[in-house]
Amino acid sequence: MNNETMNNERLESAMLVEAILQALRETFPAETVEAQAVPIGETFIALPADCIHPAVRLLIKRFDLRHLSTITGQDTGSAIELLYHFWDGGGLTLRTSLPREKPHIATLTDLIPGAAFYEREVSEMLGVTFDGLPDPRPLLLPDDWNGEAPLRQRPTAPTPGPSPNPSASLRTGSGGGEQKPPPQNWGGLRGGGEEETQ
Amino acid sequence: MTRITIPIGPQHPALKEPLSFLLTVEGERIVDSALRIGYVHRGIERICQNRNYVQNVHVVERICGICSHIHTTTYCQGVEALLGLQVPLRALYLRTLLGELERIHSHMLWLGVLAENIGFTTIFMYAWRDRETVLDIMEEFSGGRVAHAVNVIGGVRIDVDEAQVDSILARLDELEQQIEILLGVIQHERTFQARTRGVGHLSVEQVRRYCVVGPTARASGVNVDMRRDAPYAAYDWLDFRVITAEEGDVWARTMVRVLETIESLHMCRQLLAELPEGPLAVRAPRRVPPGEVVSRGEAPRGELVYYIRSDGSDSPARVKIRTPTLTTLITLPDQLRGVNTADVPAVLAGVDLCIACADR
Repeated sequence: MNNETMNNERLESAMLVEAILQALRETFPAETVEAQAVPIGETFIALPADCIHPAVRLLIKRFDLRHLSTITGQDTGSAIELLYHFWDGGGLTLRTSLPREKPHIATLTDLIPGAAFYEREVSEMLGVTFDGLPDPRPLLLPDDWNGEAPLRQRPTAPTPGPSPNPSASLRTGSGGGEQKPPPQNWGGLRGGGEEETQ
Repeated sequence: MTRITIPIGPQHPALKEPLSFLLTVEGERIVDSALRIGYVHRGIERICQNRNYVQNVHVVERICGICSHIHTTTYCQGVEALLGLQVPLRALYLRTLLGELERIHSHMLWLGVLAENIGFTTIFMYAWRDRETVLDIMEEFSGGRVAHAVNVIGGVRIDVDEAQVDSILARLDELEQQIEILLGVIQHERTFQARTRGVGHLSVEQVRRYCVVGPTARASGVNVDMRRDAPYAAYDWLDFRVITAEEGDVWARTMVRVLETIESLHMCRQLLAELPEGPLAVRAPRRVPPGEVVSRGEAPRGELVYYIRSDGSDSPARVKIRTPTLTTLITLPDQLRGVNTADVPAVLAGVDLCIACADR
């Protein structure tokens, strides 16, 4: 490996990010496109949810940026956030926010077939619907899973402390559901209660 | 011709890890296949949210029983970036050393699995016998054959002394001779070629469509390697080649992995020769300032991605792990279409599946 060529490659990738940012600002309302530098050498670009699909189409057409490393989904408490991590000699992540109630977004599988597993995982773990995803079955969760989205945040208990007695939750349940199995205690060391989800 | 659907797995004598296949065959030919994973899903991403940063080093180490060290390396370098820690050079070298030993171990294990799957038991025996050399080195270095617990946030925990360095170097020479013999057998044995050439083909276009990474991508002529493209740990100071091949079949994957093993041996020698003096670790605070990080590393199977978000407490708000096997699993229905039933084990072995990694 030659160190000089390496430096040149990384320089090019910084310029590439700059060009991508400019192209996105030209295509979409410029005030909605926000860039942020994140370690390690990653650029995060925030976009509205309905711009993600056209933005990825633009990345592929104009910059041949097709390697989607993965999609991270996370519940920030106020929204469901999706992060589309791309890689092309440098990291580029598209960030978007969805409402916690019935979140949905267009699938990327028509542009990048490799996105299918990542979308299925985000879908089962956070309850996000990917419109147009050809095979929306769960990827990792069991077939008889009760439908809860395990990576959703639970409402915090009023007094955070050690996890409550699991048998107590079996007795009280969360009311309402008659046949539904008792909610699992995912709160653990963070002291989340197991009141109803979503 | 009548179509028959054959279920394979999740529990099956020929599978090393639980994975379920539905193969639709017409005579001997596979016309369709469906895949189901998740049988060893342990919810590790959620577990990480409930543990503090120090505990998580040991949680992520247990994602995989082969490439445990690259998981802790990628996780630790992410947390270190959030903390703004400057990891001592000696620690980076030792991390890289263990990472390359792990790659040798993983690739040789893989060669054995492939050989066994295609009925070439001699290579299986030789590859696994020689792999013990690396496992012994890793055990003497860290105390563990698979879970090394060498990485800590801020550096490494274990040092090597002069005598150990000499002993490792001597055994690496021995190992290289053995691998050269294996390589010779593979290159000249006609049955091996007959079973692997043209089997499980992936074109450059398919690799790019499915975002495949690692040796599987490199065997199809896609030149990607995080060690060179995003040099982490000590890779910036190392001189190495990225091995690629053009054929895109199981044969090409074999050549890429065996040649990579030899390349890793050279890297280990460089690391040991240039091992800088200095401290092993810097002290890391328990609380991590708010922020996010994307950390990437090259696992034996390809690009490994960690996304970590901190909310300022002593445990992460989100840890997302993308393991390389997930990218190759999605290509299996394409690879299996049209192959002979007898070649299924070769295709499955060819992409080097690690279901525990994929399921997390």
